[in-house]
Amino acid sequence: MRTWSLLGVVTLLIAQESWAFKAHDFKTCSQSGFCRRGRDLSARAKEAKSWTSPYSVDPSSINISSNNAVFSAAVKSSLYPEVNFGLEVRVQEDGVARVRMDEVGGLRKRYDEAAGWALIEEPTISTAIKWTTSKKDIRAVYGEKKDIEVVVAFEPLRVSLLRGGKEQIVLNGQGLLHMEHFRTKVEAATATEEPEPEGAESPEGVESPEVEDQVVVEVPNPRAWFEGHEEDALWEETFGSWTDSKPKGPESLSLDINFPNHGTVYGIPQHATRLALPTTKGDDSTFTDPYRLYNSDVFEYLASSPVSLYGSIPLMHAHSTESTVAVFHLVGSETWIDVSHASEKSTETHWVSESGILDTFLLPGPTAEDVFKQYARLTGTPVMPTQWSLGYHQCRWNYVSSDDVRTVQKRFDEEDMPVDVFWLDIEYSEGHKYFMWNDKTFPDPVEMTNDVAVNGRKMVVIVDPHLKREDNYPAFKQASELGILVKPKSGEGEYEGWCWPGSSSWTDFFNPASWDWWKSMFKIQAGEKWSWTQSTTDVHIWNDMNEPSVFNGPEITMPKDNIHHGGWEHRDIHNINGMLFSNLTYQAVAERTDPPTRPFVLTRAFFAGSQRFGAMWTGDNLGTWEHMAVGVKMVLANGLGGLSFAGSDVGGFFGNPEPEMLVRWYQVGAFAPFFRAHAHIDTKRREPFLLDAPYKGIVKDILRLRYTLLPMWYTAFRETSVTGMPILRPQFVMFPKDKAGFDIDDQYYIGSSGLLVKPVTAKDVREAKVYLAEDQVYYDYFTNHAYRGAAKGKEITVAAELDQLPLFLRGGSVLATRERPRRSSPLMKHDPFTLRVALSKAGSARGELYLDDGETYDHQKGHFVWRAFVAERAGKKGLRLHSADLGAARPAEAVDGAALAVYDPANAFTAGIAQVRVEKVVVVGLAGKPSSVKVEGGAELVWEYTPGVAAGDKKEGTASILTIKDPKVLIHKDWAIVIQ
Amino acid sequence: MIPWVFLVCSLPLSAAVVPTKTLGVSPDLSSKYVPSKAGTWRCLDGSKEISWDFVNDDSCDCLDGSDEPGTGACPDTQFYCQNEGHIGTYIPSSRVNDGLCEVQCCDGSDERSGVCPNLCKEIGDAYKKKRDAELKIQREGAKVRSSYIAYAHQEKKRLEAEAQALAEQIKIKEKEVQRLQDIAERTESLSQAALEQKKKSPLYQSLLAHNNALKSLQREHNKHLEREKALGEILDALRTGYNPNYQDMAVLEAVRGWEELAGLPHINDVGKETEGSEESKEEDAVIEEELEEGALSADDLQREVPGLLDTDYISLMLEHEEHIQAPVEGSILFDLTSYMPDSVIPAYEDFKDILISWLQKFGIVSADGSAADSSRAQQALHDAENELDSLKKNMETAESDAKEIFNIHGFGAKGEWKKLDGTCLEKDTGDYTYEVCLFKEVKQKPNHGGTTFSLGKFESWNPSSEVEPGRPEFYQKQVYKHGTRCWNGPERNVVLKLTCGVENAILTVQELEKCEYEFTGTSPALCLSVQENGTKNGQPREEL
Repeated sequence: MRTWSLLGVVTLLIAQESWAFKAHDFKTCSQSGFCRRGRDLSARAKEAKSWTSPYSVDPSSINISSNNAVFSAAVKSSLYPEVNFGLEVRVQEDGVARVRMDEVGGLRKRYDEAAGWALIEEPTISTAIKWTTSKKDIRAVYGEKKDIEVVVAFEPLRVSLLRGGKEQIVLNGQGLLHMEHFRTKVEAATATEEPEPEGAESPEGVESPEVEDQVVVEVPNPRAWFEGHEEDALWEETFGSWTDSKPKGPESLSLDINFPNHGTVYGIPQHATRLALPTTKGDDSTFTDPYRLYNSDVFEYLASSPVSLYGSIPLMHAHSTESTVAVFHLVGSETWIDVSHASEKSTETHWVSESGILDTFLLPGPTAEDVFKQYARLTGTPVMPTQWSLGYHQCRWNYVSSDDVRTVQKRFDEEDMPVDVFWLDIEYSEGHKYFMWNDKTFPDPVEMTNDVAVNGRKMVVIVDPHLKREDNYPAFKQASELGILVKPKSGEGEYEGWCWPGSSSWTDFFNPASWDWWKSMFKIQAGEKWSWTQSTTDVHIWNDMNEPSVFNGPEITMPKDNIHHGGWEHRDIHNINGMLFSNLTYQAVAERTDPPTRPFVLTRAFFAGSQRFGAMWTGDNLGTWEHMAVGVKMVLANGLGGLSFAGSDVGGFFGNPEPEMLVRWYQVGAFAPFFRAHAHIDTKRREPFLLDAPYKGIVKDILRLRYTLLPMWYTAFRETSVTGMPILRPQFVMFPKDKAGFDIDDQYYIGSSGLLVKPVTAKDVREAKVYLAEDQVYYDYFTNHAYRGAAKGKEITVAAELDQLPLFLRGGSVLATRERPRRSSPLMKHDPFTLRVALSKAGSARGELYLDDGETYDHQKGHFVWRAFVAERAGKKGLRLHSADLGAARPAEAVDGAALAVYDPANAFTAGIAQVRVEKVVVVGLAGKPSSVKVEGGAELVWEYTPGVAAGDKKEGTASILTIKDPKVLIHKDWAIVIQ
Repeated sequence: MIPWVFLVCSLPLSAAVVPTKTLGVSPDLSSKYVPSKAGTWRCLDGSKEISWDFVNDDSCDCLDGSDEPGTGACPDTQFYCQNEGHIGTYIPSSRVNDGLCEVQCCDGSDERSGVCPNLCKEIGDAYKKKRDAELKIQREGAKVRSSYIAYAHQEKKRLEAEAQALAEQIKIKEKEVQRLQDIAERTESLSQAALEQKKKSPLYQSLLAHNNALKSLQREHNKHLEREKALGEILDALRTGYNPNYQDMAVLEAVRGWEELAGLPHINDVGKETEGSEESKEEDAVIEEELEEGALSADDLQREVPGLLDTDYISLMLEHEEHIQAPVEGSILFDLTSYMPDSVIPAYEDFKDILISWLQKFGIVSADGSAADSSRAQQALHDAENELDSLKKNMETAESDAKEIFNIHGFGAKGEWKKLDGTCLEKDTGDYTYEVCLFKEVKQKPNHGGTTFSLGKFESWNPSSEVEPGRPEFYQKQVYKHGTRCWNGPERNVVLKLTCGVENAILTVQELEKCEYEFTGTSPALCLSVQENGTKNGQPREEL
């Protein structure tokens, strides 16, 4: 009996173990050779009494381009005088300074194509720059106020960006710059005979397999002060059962980037952590390992960790009450980033990448808005999504058959719950051969899609990047014949790994020959070659597993010594890889029709620039409160990284959330740009119609609220499609001078709508605290209760019962909503609008509305409606609400790459919605009962007034409400309503 | 409440056709949609009085939404389609003026005029055809159902008759048992004294101890066998069911370990049959355990131990004595006279004749009387008692079966399901054949080799508290529970959804979530006769 009970305990332990992050699957810094070397370098610098970077500019080599815009020079390292480096600094038109450094004339070439994939175009270099050289340095002064300065100090090499004489960003200020040059492997035959004594200098005291790789160098090493005594994992590295052959030897890049005057940093998604990045170094650091950027399929990731996740954006924002700046360190290889604060006011970061050139952009700001714009100029703005993709997405691994899909749709309709998209995970496919329907369970995929589409809905179907190695699988066969599959380290043949279908290979999207082929796969019309004819234009695509996830690979991904197009190793391009897949899928789906129509593609892996190709989600989260909470922060962080179209799986991918958690999760999801419920195959079904009362009704109301607010979301996407401003705006973006808001990451504003939301992400919560950073009135969205903020910041406490979501409309906003429930968003096309005018303290309000067909690219030709609704004081006590045409006023910045010269208000889209009107106007916070309400030039309207607190009062309480019935003004026309 | 300020409406900018005031109003409410003399109208909930002009003006005024029956302007209201030529019906307001022509609204009244054609004739005809086809199936099914009901009645009669017959047999058997008991008691008491003495023999005592030990060993052995079997099943399921892609070394090790132990090929190699596999089979054969001389193999044990345990030690002891000592004097039974007072001997002789003839008749003693002993008498009694018990059980079963036929939780109030008790239906889905034995068990049998799993045993009809047991809809769902446990998951369960059909058949099988199966099927047992069905709610069934 005893043995049995013991066994029971063991099984229990194993069972618990299996429900957790598999730490041993992923490297820590100390298990990664180049990270270890980088951190050791930093540790030596810290311990040294004096420390000077060995890198310096050779002043005799300075060259300034003929147009005076580009400065370049040779850089030498005192460690290796025989090795040559080249430095180049350019200032772009928008003030961004780009610093590039590469080894010149080396044994091999460092990877230098990351910019080619991430940037939308070669940035325009400012010609208004003048470089001035002195003995010690060279500098350029620029900016409207001539207050920005880029200084390159020669010895040691140090690059800094200053504003108003204050240092904003400093490169190599701590002397941690180190570009490991290419070298020939010296077979240290004698050295290996004398193994290192046990325990000596084992890095960080961790016994790890690759310690064996170290080679003791006997002779006194003049470079040891900088590089250390031992050669650490330069030529080979073992992790678990995998050995990375490192044929190119060491080529890592270490760089310290300091923000001497910025005490808070944000960005470098994707990590499950707070928005204001916690420290990884220094006393009492939150984390002990650096943040890692190495796109990884992390099973059941931790809710608070610097471990790398599915995507990487090497962009970091540094913020203070004085300014916001950012660095974009454009590297596609594995990168580790340490963050520490020498003082409360400064931030030191240290970036160590495995390969690639130094290509770093210094974004001068000085406001967060400027930084977003500057970053968007580099990598592009988020694409204007299909309108329906902002609706509710219902997903599950898996809806098991076409009848299952139909039944789920039927149940939504029976409950009159809106939904736009039904999703199919991997089990639709025969043997996980994507595109190939399982004809037993999905015998009629086209009819099924049509049955969904008849209600204005769409299907999203998964297509992963791994191709089952089976000759009867057209996708694999064609790719294999074209020779466009990723190659193993030999550079010959096809790399073979394991994923869902078993033995698989991966298309090398770095190979241009793969592009047309991939697009051809999605053609619906039958052609000569196989294509996905069992599909319709209502089918859109989900790209999962594109880190890439390889079940039997090192760290669940590809070996780094795999070979891609151009002979580059996988290590060079790993973080970029996933973006190319969603990029090509995006193009493929768009080009199914002629002219192309807007595609929807969801990706799990991403890189800088992925915002151009659709939406992302935060991967396989857990159904826990912690994950719900951190998901909000992760979506905010993605927005800062340019990827606004983001969301977390509602309900949590793993586990069976109890009804309370599910309700809260719907509240979270409904206020994320991408709103999808998803569930693991082992979970119970949890579609909203399965809930019992009262939960079902609450979720139904949340779904409907999302649809009511769809015009707001679409309008917010318009803005970011032009400016790159994140859709979800954390406190520091809205109130950059309010220090108390810098760490707040659990409440946010949506676009420029004036909506402020604080989702509840904890159990048994019945009230919430909301921080108001300004002296302004905020109205509870549901009750119109007026709350007052304060200039120095104020926390208010509001009720947050399960059916209550803390949602506020900031005084001074006009919100356009559509209040009629429909089955799906396309069916709302002709519904009238309600305008909610939330008066500011000063008695005014403003809001915008953007509409287009939501599907084609006609909006780029000017087929849209873009209005401003402005409420201003008129006369002594009156208020005038009018609608103005923003399209006509600002055609060049209307939407999504449509730099129009003129806007034609009589465009085809407008004609199609000519009759769409405003059915109701609600004015909140009027000081008293009006005497008359009229459309300007028209007769008196029908209205109702409920007295209450006025916007300009100091009081709190339910605000006064004026409801104007059906003014019958058209949404696309200029009009004015005058309230006396 | 501050009343609406009534003033002349601004000129309609919209060119939309203003719907009539009673659009979307059902006939039984149309009387309420009339203006007051003052040209006003009161919301149906009485909460508000509004201008008659505001009714169906595409702008919501009433809290209950009753002012917009025809426009969809008020959420969560109902729109009535007249569907002239067909059947009128309600649709939710969310479907009014959404640009789609609702199938339910064949008159096209759910959209602004000119958008949707009136298809009531076509749809009505198609509906009628469909309905006729359904009715035909229902009628045919109902015939079968009546036969089921008739069967249930016959079955009840048969069972009752059987119970009665059994009752008579029981009476006879009881008498027989009574007699045998008498005999046994007597033989027992006669031999008791001698036996007791013999039982004290160390050999007998030792035999008992051995027997006891053997019994215990057998019990423990069986326990272990069962446990091993269960573990084997779990490991088999793990072996065939684990996902090698997860690269979970612990699982992989467990699978490999089991394969080695159980002499199975590695699961990834299954199907890759090569010459090599034959070799390994030969090797397996060689490895067979070598046993000590005379030792029992596992199979021998299974066969022989029960026999050993059933040994009648008393007989054995007696035989043993016979074997060792001089031939025993005549059997106690035949030599009792020597112990008896003379006066009783004549009566005893009579009794003895009867007794012996009985014993001979039952084969307990041979005619020569030499082999009779008390244990044989016991055996006869025991057998007779067993027979009696089994008769009684059979009768009880027959009686309760007869009663159960008309249990609403069992075969239905009319016993219409009795005929299908244990009927097995199969559905081949390619990889698996699913077998539903109604009221018994559902099984998943792999078509390409592997383990058959139980998906659950019959648990109940529709367990929903919203469905009243005995109602027709109660019998549209069967639940089978506690099937084989999923690896790392729950027990498998099945919900079988049934509708009226001419055949008993399984139509679809879906695993909607892990280990939760939904089957659909048809059965004539659900086909109520048209009259029954039509009047079940006191009104004709008119659904679309």
